[in-house]
Amino acid sequence: MSTDTATACPTCGAAVTPGARFCEGCGAPLAGTDPSAPVPRHEPDEAGPISRPTNRQRVTAPEPAVRPCAACGGEVGPDLYCTTCGTKAPSPRDHYRESPAPWVAGVCDRGVRHTRNEDAMALFADPTPDGGRAVLVVCDGVSSSADSDTASLAAARAALEVLVPPLPRGLGTADSEDAAAAAVLSRAAAAANAAVIANSDPSSDNPASCTWVAAVLEGGTVRYAGLGDSRAYLLPDDGPGVQLTVDDSLAQELVDAGTPRTDAERSPTAHTIVRWLGLDAPDVRPRVGSARVEGPGWLLVCSDGLWNYASEPQALRAQVDAAGVTDPEGLALALVEWACAQGGRDNVTVALARVGSQWADSEVREDHG
Amino acid sequence: MAEFAAAVYQNEFLPVGGTDVSAIVSVTCTGAGTAGQGSGGDAGEIIVIDTSGSMGTTAMDAARRAAQAALGQIVDGTYFAVVSGNGAAFLAYPHVQSGPGMVRMDARTRAEAGRAVAALTSGGGTAMATWLDLTGVLFRSVPEVVQRHAILLTDGANNEATHVLDAAVRRAEGLFQCDCRGVGVDWKVSEVRRIAQPLLGTIGIIPTPEAMEAEFAAMMQASMSRGVPDAQLRVWAPLGAQVLFVRQVSPTVEDLTARRTSVNDLTGDYPTGAWADESRDYHVSVRLAAKDIGQEQLAARVQLVVGGQAAAQGLVKATWSDDHSLTARIDQQVAHYTGQAELAEVIQEGLAAKAVGDEETATTKLGRAVQLAAETGNEEATSRLRKVVDIDDEETGTVRLKRSVDKAAEMELDTASTKTTRVRR
Repeated sequence: MSTDTATACPTCGAAVTPGARFCEGCGAPLAGTDPSAPVPRHEPDEAGPISRPTNRQRVTAPEPAVRPCAACGGEVGPDLYCTTCGTKAPSPRDHYRESPAPWVAGVCDRGVRHTRNEDAMALFADPTPDGGRAVLVVCDGVSSSADSDTASLAAARAALEVLVPPLPRGLGTADSEDAAAAAVLSRAAAAANAAVIANSDPSSDNPASCTWVAAVLEGGTVRYAGLGDSRAYLLPDDGPGVQLTVDDSLAQELVDAGTPRTDAERSPTAHTIVRWLGLDAPDVRPRVGSARVEGPGWLLVCSDGLWNYASEPQALRAQVDAAGVTDPEGLALALVEWACAQGGRDNVTVALARVGSQWADSEVREDHG
Repeated sequence: MAEFAAAVYQNEFLPVGGTDVSAIVSVTCTGAGTAGQGSGGDAGEIIVIDTSGSMGTTAMDAARRAAQAALGQIVDGTYFAVVSGNGAAFLAYPHVQSGPGMVRMDARTRAEAGRAVAALTSGGGTAMATWLDLTGVLFRSVPEVVQRHAILLTDGANNEATHVLDAAVRRAEGLFQCDCRGVGVDWKVSEVRRIAQPLLGTIGIIPTPEAMEAEFAAMMQASMSRGVPDAQLRVWAPLGAQVLFVRQVSPTVEDLTARRTSVNDLTGDYPTGAWADESRDYHVSVRLAAKDIGQEQLAARVQLVVGGQAAAQGLVKATWSDDHSLTARIDQQVAHYTGQAELAEVIQEGLAAKAVGDEETATTKLGRAVQLAAETGNEEATSRLRKVVDIDDEETGTVRLKRSVDKAAEMELDTASTKTTRVRR
């Protein structure tokens, strides 16, 4: 297998250590560059219980006995600090990744400024994108509330559980299918809400609360639902991208009233959300919608930690292109790192599914010969 | 089974570009048990008595009684021996010519040793290097003894060249611990400190012979309560970092920085000797490469290692912040012990200056000592300083050297200079 013996980065030509996941020179991902030889992904952050594979068919690498340090490659000690350079390893809750299938992945990260990660995600994907299903759920815990980190994770997982089985078709007509799908998405929101409440202290003045967004890709259609200001985007390789979800935020209310988006999102109360999940939530019925996937591109579900720095679909698309990475986990990581480099003022979650035909053409087909 | 716990006191927040991290690591031992009674191995005690000619009748009488009192405190089953020292060292007990030079304590050997001590007479010079060497030979003659402790009593200055004594101390270092006491005022604190400090022992003055008996009993009792034969303070610092210093700061100040033995490139062990049920505080200072705001890293892992295993661990951290209210604070413990370490230093330097007639330096240093003792609430130090200087103003450290000073008071100030007080947590 070529990747096992490769000693030069395919992107920049710099020498690489065998088994390295990323090039030290240019940062390009090295693992999985040869699709016929899937390199076992070692998941440094799966040492904890936080991240579980959502796809039973996923080939899981044996758990590494020691976690490598992200800064120097040394060993991370049992006290979560590197035994060589002392760098603090992110706790499994502060940074975790999921990749239920080669075409779907997500990264959930504490960012720079916040002391803990109150974002959460839960992902599901069929092994291949050919007619396969993917479910991306992202929650953003409200920092001013208590326990929102545990609540957001529970919410994301509870919603995923509802959305993993194929969506019902109703009576087969388009209207009936939409209604049936909307009912399941509402049920997922209700399950997520129940999970948030189950993880909050009822006596608290600030019970746990979080945003919620889910996108289900099934048969070339994306069905999505949201509460709050976490978003789903469809970013085709060609043609304009689109923001699928509509925020429940004061900024959005300003936009609806005619304020230009850039001004609205700069207003001091822009991030005040008007709907959320939690004990004190006024209304947990999500806004739902659907969109057809017309060509190859990315389905992106993210928290405001990302879109704070690129709100418009074309701005996000520009960052996707700038990352120069085509595997979902590498791209999700690149986008998270980009958001952190912009200041990382909030937690950052990026979940991606490669949609459309191009993936099948260029890479997955090789997998199947 | 002894248990250790470690607590860390520090301000982990560093300002932009900040590099130096200081922390107090407090290590507490509980359930230490009794020396030599654990599964680790036997304990050995050697009593070294100065029998030089300068020991007059009264002092010699008191020394005999003190040795008897110490023998009385040695737990049955403990290996022991008595050495008498003048210009050379002699094995006073057990009466053997070859083979193991120590015997187990029981009713018979205690009585025999008592008779041997009673027969000690004074005469000759003082060659402490020979005393230490014989003590080492005796310990080595009984390999099953793993916890080795000696009590050394002297009354006068050593007759050997400094380098001869230092060489003997180096041979003893790591082999046995040695508590040292001087009786009267004719011995030299600095000389005896050269023995006690490397051999992880205490130093003290017994101003009058009558106090000797109680002091010896207490010293031996303390030694018998050390059920953990040996332990090391292990300090890890990250690659590229520099350990600026490691010092014990409580119950006494002892700089351990130069006593590092390398475990690996990043880790070093510092000797701590045997442990009783007690608490000791260590001040660790590490210099790191500055990192970006918001970055957190480990500055040091500080472990207490017993038998090669970490029995307790404290983590010293560094987090860079642009929040002045976080970075400007100095941890109370760190501040307190920084002051106490300086206090020990200026007392010793002040007394050394006074001894050579440099009154100006002595006044400055002892004035600073008065100021530090007041600031850190070390009232015992203040009262000892009062016997050597007249204090005009504590706050500014304005003092005058007393014209006539009791020599014993001055020596006591010196020997006790390293004793620290704790600050309430």
